[in-house]
Amino acid sequence: MNRAFWYFLSLQLFKERSKHLTIIVISILLIFILSSVLFISSSIRFSLEQTLKPQPDFVISRLQGGVNRSTPIEWSDELFDIYGVTKVTPRVYGRYFFRPKGKSFLIMGIDAFEEESHKSLEKLIDSIDIKAFLTGNNMIVGEGVKEYLQKNFYNNSYKFLTPKGKFIDIKIAKIVPKETRLLSNDMIIMPIDLAREVLGYTQDEVTDIAFNVPNPDEWSNIEDKLLSLHYDLGVVDKNEVKKSYETLYNYKSGFFLIIFLILIMTFSLILYQRYNMVYSTEKREIGLLRALGWSINDVLRLKFMESFILIVTSYIIGIFIAYIFVYIYNAPLLKNIFLGGQNLQNSVSFIPIIDIATLSSIFLLYAVPFIIAVIVPVWRVSVTNPKEAML
Amino acid sequence: MNEILFSNQVIIYLLSESLLFVLLFIAFVVSIKIVIKWDFDSFSQKQFRLEKEAYLVSTITIFLFIIKFILLIYFVFTIDSLSILIAGAMCGAGVVTANEYGTYLLLFKLIIIATLILWFYLNSYDTHTKNYLHMKKKSLLFIAIFISIIFELFLDFQYFTNIDTHQPVSCCSTLFGQLEGANPLPFGLTIPLLLTLFYLLYFLTILTLKTNYRVLYIVSNLLFLYLAYYAVVYFFGTYIYQLPTHKCPFCMLQSDYFYIGYIIWGSLFLGTFIGISDALSSIWTTRKYIKNSRLVISMLTLFVVLSSIYVIIYYFRNGVWL
Repeated sequence: MNRAFWYFLSLQLFKERSKHLTIIVISILLIFILSSVLFISSSIRFSLEQTLKPQPDFVISRLQGGVNRSTPIEWSDELFDIYGVTKVTPRVYGRYFFRPKGKSFLIMGIDAFEEESHKSLEKLIDSIDIKAFLTGNNMIVGEGVKEYLQKNFYNNSYKFLTPKGKFIDIKIAKIVPKETRLLSNDMIIMPIDLAREVLGYTQDEVTDIAFNVPNPDEWSNIEDKLLSLHYDLGVVDKNEVKKSYETLYNYKSGFFLIIFLILIMTFSLILYQRYNMVYSTEKREIGLLRALGWSINDVLRLKFMESFILIVTSYIIGIFIAYIFVYIYNAPLLKNIFLGGQNLQNSVSFIPIIDIATLSSIFLLYAVPFIIAVIVPVWRVSVTNPKEAML
Repeated sequence: MNEILFSNQVIIYLLSESLLFVLLFIAFVVSIKIVIKWDFDSFSQKQFRLEKEAYLVSTITIFLFIIKFILLIYFVFTIDSLSILIAGAMCGAGVVTANEYGTYLLLFKLIIIATLILWFYLNSYDTHTKNYLHMKKKSLLFIAIFISIIFELFLDFQYFTNIDTHQPVSCCSTLFGQLEGANPLPFGLTIPLLLTLFYLLYFLTILTLKTNYRVLYIVSNLLFLYLAYYAVVYFFGTYIYQLPTHKCPFCMLQSDYFYIGYIIWGSLFLGTFIGISDALSSIWTTRKYIKNSRLVISMLTLFVVLSSIYVIIYYFRNGVWL
């Protein structure tokens, strides 16, 4: 392949540009849809991993008939006795249903004596006086909660109705910053005793107990020890949570891909038909080239380079458009498939993640059917006899 | 429902493999025709058509080789990314052994790549002869490749549909590491003996390449490949991970070790495959010399230097051996 070959190839492409244009446009569209979906799913997976990283390794709670019940707080003292367990945190949280519209908030209690939870909270919101926050009737709310409350004319505070029928007035002290929206959108953080009251727990009950085990080799061992403590104890570890998220998003994008397969099959059938047609009109030209001394291999190379350039061009343009669509314009419409807007409206901005796995997946899914569709038409035109073509 | 089948990479991988098979089938039919009817001295219409169709076979095979090569890397990558979904797996080792098909599948893939390289050498010798002397051999080889690809495709589907995500698998350190004192090395070798043999065989391989003793070369390179696998898993690998108990051929493919495994295994397998195909095809076509001995030598040397350099760097940094 010398310079003359490339020059000829570019001339050829330019001359026949109207023939290739439709194919390039369809290809770009296909790649754009495909890569937008894959970009969104990999970006969400990345944000989930980031939010899961600081989460506790284990969570235990009391199970009754397979359903979570309020957990006695004494269990956390028993945990301290197990060697290798750190950062034991009893947690109080639950859903508070906002009656009129059937929406719900996630309420999280923060313990005044737990250094750990303070630190993470302080990291989350730097400009807040923790002590003042924990002593009064205050709460920190997520972005979605704030919007929802404002819409219902609760600008500064909200009156919670406890299961006992009492009203508690709680002030909004702060709004959680945007970066953690995926998880904190419908979240309300308040002092633990207040949370107990709102959710209807007694003083010596918590929702569950979280703790860390720094040595991952000990995880299964610790799990066995926990299960022997009480008969009604249930354990969930972080890997299980991670796995179920992974499965969920795999399921969503996998389902899309399976439907996309039909599309790509149709596309390659169209390609096959079209190239058969296009090349049959080029027979004379190829015959001329062969008569001028080109070998079959030369013609094959020319035609393959031609389709390869088409593939690469539309691949790059398609990915580029998808990048802009997803990461700069935040994928309007398409993101609802992934983020389900059932409860409070969530508006996440996607963190740009482009990894080799996604890029190579897109390339394989598009390039392999493309080349397979054109290989036979290309061969058919390349072996044209010069004499036959000229007649 | 099987969660594995919804993984994006698995879907794309299986689709590509199946589509390739359709194309291969066309080439297979043509190859059979060539084996039965090829006669270069004939001037019949049929022979001319066959000569044209032979171009289709070679085009398809070249494409097949490129995609198979990409798919092998993609497969390893996929397996690695699946390790998060399967209980107990921490790298590809656990996922491959999740059912009985995985190991055979990986072996089949390597063998197919090797035979495809052999086909390439035959093809290049063939196109250099004016009268396509080796067309029948080439087609026979292609038919062999096709049959092994049928098996591979069967294994592909069997493997991915039979992974149970709830049943825990063993992680690499239980598969390769803790054998309770049993010696995992072949022929009852010890590590120092293995290393001596490793370097000796490396020099023998290069020597036989340089002096063109082809049969001896093939034997020594095959032995080298076999021992190099054990040397990497049980000795060089521990220096890559900087942990004497970590013995695994898969973990070095992960980002934690800067994907060095792809280069290490890639240079070893490619070097060996290219060399052996070169030697075999030159014997088969009764030629005198090996074509690309320099390429083979540089690949194998890259492999040996890369694996040794981890040991040396570790020693210079810490002043002790593992």
